[in-house]
Amino acid sequence: MALLEVRNLVKTFGTKTVLDGVTFDLEEGQTKVIMGPSGCGKSTLLRCLNRLEEPTSGSVRFDGKEMTAPTADVRALRQLIGFVFQNFALYRHLTVLDNVTLALRQLKKMPAALAEERALHELARMDMAEKRDAYPASLSGGQSQRVAIARALAMEPRVLFFDEPTSALDPVMAREVVTLINRLYLENVTILCVTHDLYLAQYISDSIIFLDQGKVRAEDKAENLLSGHADPVIASFFGRKS
Amino acid sequence: MGGNFPALLVQLQADLPSLISALGETVLLSVIITINGLIGGLLVFYLTLSNSGVVRKIINGYISIFIGTPLIVFLFLLYYGLPTIGIRLSPFVIAVFGFFLNVSAYNARFLVTAYKGLLPTELEAAKAQGFSRGQIFRLVTAPQVLRLAAPALASQAIQNTKDSSIVFLIQYTEFFAGMQEIAMRSFLFFETYFVTALVYLLLVSVIVLAMRRLERRFTIPGLS
Amino acid sequence: MSFAQILQSLVAGLGYTVLVTLLCAATALVVALAIIAARRLGGKAAGNALDALVYVLRGIPVLVLLFMVFFGLPALGLDIPPLAAMMLSLGAVSGAYLSEIFRGSLQAVSQAEILAAQASGFTPFQSFRLIELPQMIRLSVPGMVNELTSVMKYSPFAYTVGIPEITKQAMALTSTTMQSLQIYTAVGLLYFGLYRAILLAVAYVERHFAIPGFAEE
Ligand SMILES: Nc1ncnc2c1ncn2[C@@H]1O[C@H](COP(=O)(O)OP(=O)(O)OP(=O)(O)O)[C@@H](O)[C@H]1O
Ligand SMILES: [Mg+2]
Repeated sequence: MALLEVRNLVKTFGTKTVLDGVTFDLEEGQTKVIMGPSGCGKSTLLRCLNRLEEPTSGSVRFDGKEMTAPTADVRALRQLIGFVFQNFALYRHLTVLDNVTLALRQLKKMPAALAEERALHELARMDMAEKRDAYPASLSGGQSQRVAIARALAMEPRVLFFDEPTSALDPVMAREVVTLINRLYLENVTILCVTHDLYLAQYISDSIIFLDQGKVRAEDKAENLLSGHADPVIASFFGRKS
Repeated sequence: MGGNFPALLVQLQADLPSLISALGETVLLSVIITINGLIGGLLVFYLTLSNSGVVRKIINGYISIFIGTPLIVFLFLLYYGLPTIGIRLSPFVIAVFGFFLNVSAYNARFLVTAYKGLLPTELEAAKAQGFSRGQIFRLVTAPQVLRLAAPALASQAIQNTKDSSIVFLIQYTEFFAGMQEIAMRSFLFFETYFVTALVYLLLVSVIVLAMRRLERRFTIPGLS
Repeated sequence: MSFAQILQSLVAGLGYTVLVTLLCAATALVVALAIIAARRLGGKAAGNALDALVYVLRGIPVLVLLFMVFFGLPALGLDIPPLAAMMLSLGAVSGAYLSEIFRGSLQAVSQAEILAAQASGFTPFQSFRLIELPQMIRLSVPGMVNELTSVMKYSPFAYTVGIPEITKQAMALTSTTMQSLQIYTAVGLLYFGLYRAILLAVAYVERHFAIPGFAEE
């Protein structure tokens, strides 16, 4: 049984079908990257998977539990999924350290000292421990994203979701972040990552899911997709990119 | 609980002519205060842009004093204080004058805040084109600042209408004073003040609707 | 009576002025927080009802509401003490204004942060309490200061219901001394001093709770 099993997931906004029967698995310890043209539904897919968006139909099983069931404890499941956003979404009124400890203290009811210890451990992993008392406004984009990743990791999630983690960063900072995500990949952290960044995709993926018009058009290893693919749509997508 | 509104209705009907003229006083006073306040506010705002440090200091002091003290105290100062040095003014004159100084200070502050939101390059552009200071104020600064401050100026107009009710404390017979009399005579205190509140709410609603109309007419696309 | 003596006898009312101001401001804060929380966490019907309440409170003169509460309610058999009457009128009206200030600040809280809170499993109430409220309060500081000084400036109405604050002291003095000009000048000075004191206190508090890079324009 895979950690995440997505079956026939459909999402419509009004008359517009954004996800049109998406099916894939994500095994524990695996990393998959989702790519595809802008507007094809990548963000919507991630958001449906932890029910920030209500799927219209289909099934999402996480660790054997049906996430779309009306009885599902959505918030408990969300705590098992670390979500990292394109725009970092750090809480501006809290220091770096408090950003990381907030959910530990409030949701996991962890004692303050223990939460701090955990947070500092994750911040150190992201090379951000020395910024513990800084406020988000004083951080660069790359630093913010590293704190956001530490914040997600601190909850000890079963899987990390990334939605274009590097696209708001300049190339140098993006590399920093890619290096850190790659480190997680090598540590066998389970990751589902949406990105337009080929560099990131190559460095962290066991396989790439190519999404087009709300459907999985192909799923394959990076080296098979990236050059000379038989499918003209995929070939032209990556042809333009490189 | 409850209340005897039918009895009040009888009273109101009996006093209708005098009540209507009292309501007229309230409306008149509100309109005068609001117009004076706008003119005064613009004038004071213009003076805050003065080149002379002394003028700016005096003007900022004036604004600060009127924003920092209760209006009713200033009205009392004029109403009870001036006669002790031989100056006797009617409650109406005192109300108009007191509100003028007070509301002008508030409006000027709204305009100053709006002015800080203008793009400096725009004013420089006007300067570079060779406009005089007065022209820049009249043609560039004032129109924009008035639009930017419009919501604040509008809520000040509403405030003026409500605040005009305090002039009964200096024995000026406007609407609230008229209703007070009815309350004293009929002993229907709750009912009378309730109806008074409703009437003010109605006046305020008229202003709110009028402002919405104006707003639709005067918005500039892309400028908020 | 010298000006210093006048000031001295007026100061007797200062405590009441401060008390009225603080009680009404505290009422306003409670009212505004209740309104904003109910609006944020309640349904659409609650939102509409609150909009109506706020509209009404902002459309009635404080003095009229004060008279309705203090002179009107006893006629219906409900006796309201003077301080409570001030809180139910000035405090409630100010609370309505403050709730609008809060509403504006709440809109400025980044949607991304609220989404992030939701994604990490916070309940709407937790998100409101831990993320939105603290930011809202900080963004509202200038508006809250305005509201506090506004309450202070309406506090003289307390004399009409017999609270012995500064203005009431002044009335008592004028009736015995005939020095109205000096007396009301002194009253104005006292209120102005209070106003400056509020601004100083706020500046002090702000310096201590400032967050670098937050709400700086
Ligand atoms: N709340 C919504 N209401 C209506 N339409 C929506 C909503 N959210 C997303 N969409 C539409 O769904 C489609 C897919 O959006 P989504 O954000 O998932 O795309 P994406 O693949 O992440 O694109 P990008 O690469 O630009 O981030 C878009 O056409 C978008 O306009
Ligand atoms: Mg997207």
